[in-house]
Amino acid sequence: MELPSIKDLFAGWRKKPPVPFSVLFKKFKSILERNNSILELIGDMGDKLGGDYVFDRQYIFDSCERLGDQVFKLVSDLSLLCQRKNVSLFTAFERVQHQIREELAGRRALSRSDHILPLAELTHDLADEGGNKMASLGDIRNILGCTVPEGFVVTAGAYFEAMERAGLRKLAAQTTKHLCDTRGQGLEEASLRLRQSILSMPLPRSLSKAVEQAARKLAGEGGALLAVRSSAWGEDGESSFAGMYESVLGVAPADILDAYRRVLASLFCEDALRYRMHHDTTCEEPAMAVGVMRMVDARTSGGLYTYAPLQEHDQPMVVSAAWGLGKPIVDGTAETDTYFLRREPPHETISSEVSPKTTRLGLDPSGGTRTESVPAELRDNACLDRGQLALLAETAMNLERFFKRPLDVEWAFTPDGTLTVLQARPLSIRPRSCSLGEDVAEAAKDAPVIFSGKGVTAMGGVASGRVHIVDNDPDLADFPYGGILVARHSSPRYARIMPKCRGIIADVGSATGHMATIARELRVPTLVGAGNATRVLRQGQEITLDADHKVVYDGAVEALCRYELSKEDVFEESWEYRTLKRVLRHISPLTLLDPKSDQFRPESCKTFHDIARYVHQRAVDKLISLAETHQDLTEGAPRRLATKLPLGMTIIDVDGGLAPGEGDEVGEDAVRCRPLSAILDGMNAAGMWETRPVPVDLGSFMSSVTRTFSADQSHPTRMGRNLAVVSREYLNLHLRLGYHFTVVDAYLGGSINDNVIFFRFMGGVTDFTRRSRRATLVADILEQFDFVVETAGDMVTGRVKKHPTRAMLDKMFMLGGLIGYTRQLDAMLDSDEAGQRHVQEFLQRISALREARE
Amino acid sequence: MTDDISPAAAADAAKGRTSILVLDDEPIVCKRLRPFFQKAGYEVEAFTNPAEALERVTQRRFDVVITDLKMEGLDGLAFLGKVKALYPDTGVIVITGFATMETARESFRKGVFDFVAKPFKLAEILDGVRRIEKEKGLGTAK
Repeated sequence: MELPSIKDLFAGWRKKPPVPFSVLFKKFKSILERNNSILELIGDMGDKLGGDYVFDRQYIFDSCERLGDQVFKLVSDLSLLCQRKNVSLFTAFERVQHQIREELAGRRALSRSDHILPLAELTHDLADEGGNKMASLGDIRNILGCTVPEGFVVTAGAYFEAMERAGLRKLAAQTTKHLCDTRGQGLEEASLRLRQSILSMPLPRSLSKAVEQAARKLAGEGGALLAVRSSAWGEDGESSFAGMYESVLGVAPADILDAYRRVLASLFCEDALRYRMHHDTTCEEPAMAVGVMRMVDARTSGGLYTYAPLQEHDQPMVVSAAWGLGKPIVDGTAETDTYFLRREPPHETISSEVSPKTTRLGLDPSGGTRTESVPAELRDNACLDRGQLALLAETAMNLERFFKRPLDVEWAFTPDGTLTVLQARPLSIRPRSCSLGEDVAEAAKDAPVIFSGKGVTAMGGVASGRVHIVDNDPDLADFPYGGILVARHSSPRYARIMPKCRGIIADVGSATGHMATIARELRVPTLVGAGNATRVLRQGQEITLDADHKVVYDGAVEALCRYELSKEDVFEESWEYRTLKRVLRHISPLTLLDPKSDQFRPESCKTFHDIARYVHQRAVDKLISLAETHQDLTEGAPRRLATKLPLGMTIIDVDGGLAPGEGDEVGEDAVRCRPLSAILDGMNAAGMWETRPVPVDLGSFMSSVTRTFSADQSHPTRMGRNLAVVSREYLNLHLRLGYHFTVVDAYLGGSINDNVIFFRFMGGVTDFTRRSRRATLVADILEQFDFVVETAGDMVTGRVKKHPTRAMLDKMFMLGGLIGYTRQLDAMLDSDEAGQRHVQEFLQRISALREARE
Repeated sequence: MTDDISPAAAADAAKGRTSILVLDDEPIVCKRLRPFFQKAGYEVEAFTNPAEALERVTQRRFDVVITDLKMEGLDGLAFLGKVKALYPDTGVIVITGFATMETARESFRKGVFDFVAKPFKLAEILDGVRRIEKEKGLGTAK
């Protein structure tokens, strides 16, 4: 076919488009293809965080470049298809692109501009805003579910603003640079000058008001005292800065601003300047976020090392404890009780040493802290009992597994017996690890392997513990602390027991599935697709899972576990990992969900994914409106498909997808398009198009569905009716049933390598929880059929390719069934259990039907 | 060649442990490959500086060399040429972010055993090393 020039293409478009529909459709098709390759690239970049891959700096630069290029072309394609300039869409693209480039250039783009962030909102994703120490505390509270002191953080952004306004940011930068250049000349004076300026600097009014207000609220009616702690960039992270920055304890809310300035000023104390000069070769601009927490009225407090630094054998953990507040213990000025505990559950006490404790530090109701004498009856008593020690040990091991480092944990028990985690920082056991390289090689070599080389690493790491095989919900209720979860399928249901489990092995599942994402969030070593782990492993058997190497050993291979913790670098803390994660924040989240919402505009696009989503939707709309207004464009006119089911589907045949014939209506028997034919078979199959009576309370819901259908049917030219563009091997289907919106794009029947199905499902009228349940259900089912699945909000996308045509057609049959089955299901998903029940129900029905088909 | 083997290497050889040298100027690659191979039972030395790696191979022999192709200061092809000249028996795996057929062909001519494009899966590179072990009859790791 001779292609007309672009100019010809658009000349007089509205009156009479001069080109065959197939040409326009090619443009549309190229948008779809580009859209898919963009989503794939985004998915690939996300996969790299999983731990299975080695990627470097160059990879991050290259893939950002490639992605930016593709998204730009996508936007340009849409402009051509719609004959519009799309200025605002290009602007959105430039905005996102700019943010990514800033991240890559090392200029951190703070994702939140708030002065204050409550601890309840803080995780490591906000480490730039909240500083490392507070972000870790946020993880401990919000991800691991431990009790931490109540509090908030005054952000790094607030620091920059205050310094900027006071004219000190420039001075600080110059000082840092000067010290780097001159190897520390005049460091003492520079430090003094900066600190004094900061101590007396005026704070921006909105900031000081916000801090004072938040402090008063935190202190509450009783005017509780506050702890004001440093949380600088890099503190407690790769570089330690331990003890250099200031913490001010026992602060009354009225004195909060002075304490805040004191902590800020400590960013430039001599030690810190010196440390940065020697360790930070890039002289990156430092920043100080400040944590403000309510002082914990501790009955007992102390520290815990998850590895005792001096013990040569048995590798126990060590706890030191004393009555009252913890400061004298940390400072080493107090008499303390010392306990050595086993690292393995149930963490028996190996030895304990109880000292006479004559004084303790307590809160002074008038402000600050004071030293008191310990009542005689408590002096010689152990200040922790067996239950408290066990709780402490379990908590510390959970923290260690999450942070993947031996830890130094500060903790307190309050008078009501609650364990509060005050802080957790990495503990270096490197001096002893020199010889570990040898040990580990030997240990791993001699350990008996149960199986190896099978499956996909969803989260790397090593874990040892006892096998707990799970195949139904009651098994979850009694999941033992420290067990290794072994299951037939991966499922997001396991999220709630993940904090208790050390590792996960699933026979079936994908590294990009829902469960894998949660496992990564919680950093639980996870192997999916391991084949027959549920059959090979015995309930209660002690094993060691090395998810990096995909090996499962019999018994506890302690040397491997120890080696894992003593690695010089935690992958999750490397520049590459953090940077990839940071740029992905501007790339992969999908915030543009509802095409009917007012917010569905180029101006609202926050990420590349949003832009791709927007373009796709506009392209589909355009194609449908073209087909409606220019029926003469297609090879044959669009034809209505007569079906038993109320589909209201129009078919545009591009090449051999329908049997030749006249008239504007065709029957199902005229469909020659193989993927469409298979999907229709699935919809028509018995028990798939849900026809059971719907409970009475759903009457109004049903009527809304009925209304939608009848509206569609009585106004066939209305936007939003269902459209299939077909050839013999190709199907592009946009299906709106009730409020569910499904896209299927499939090419089947060429060479096996070209076979591909893309499936997307979203929408729904019920509340968000039910819609999420339905998303989970759809995702679970797709995973069972080898789809690579991504879930964002209530949108599920699944992709599968390169299976033999017969198997792919079978999957299309299943999709037809799934579309029918889930059509109005979300209203019935009143519990997670109901969701799982429907998964099983669907799988049983479809497998019976598939057998019958064969 | 036995004269060149250091006592540590000799001890490893006695234990039947395969030795690997990793050279990549991107530190992250060394940081991840070293512990990965150590845990799998190998003896590993990793370098980010080509000159240091070059110095090291003149001191001792490695069973397997894993090297990047494009680096500041030294061409990976030159490095593997040097390694092959010293120890024709050493198995070389080339890793690179700029995989083109031309460089691949060129490196195969120089006796490279395997070619892995970045980013790669840990399992892929372990697989490459195991195939070298199998071919050369080393085979100690699982």
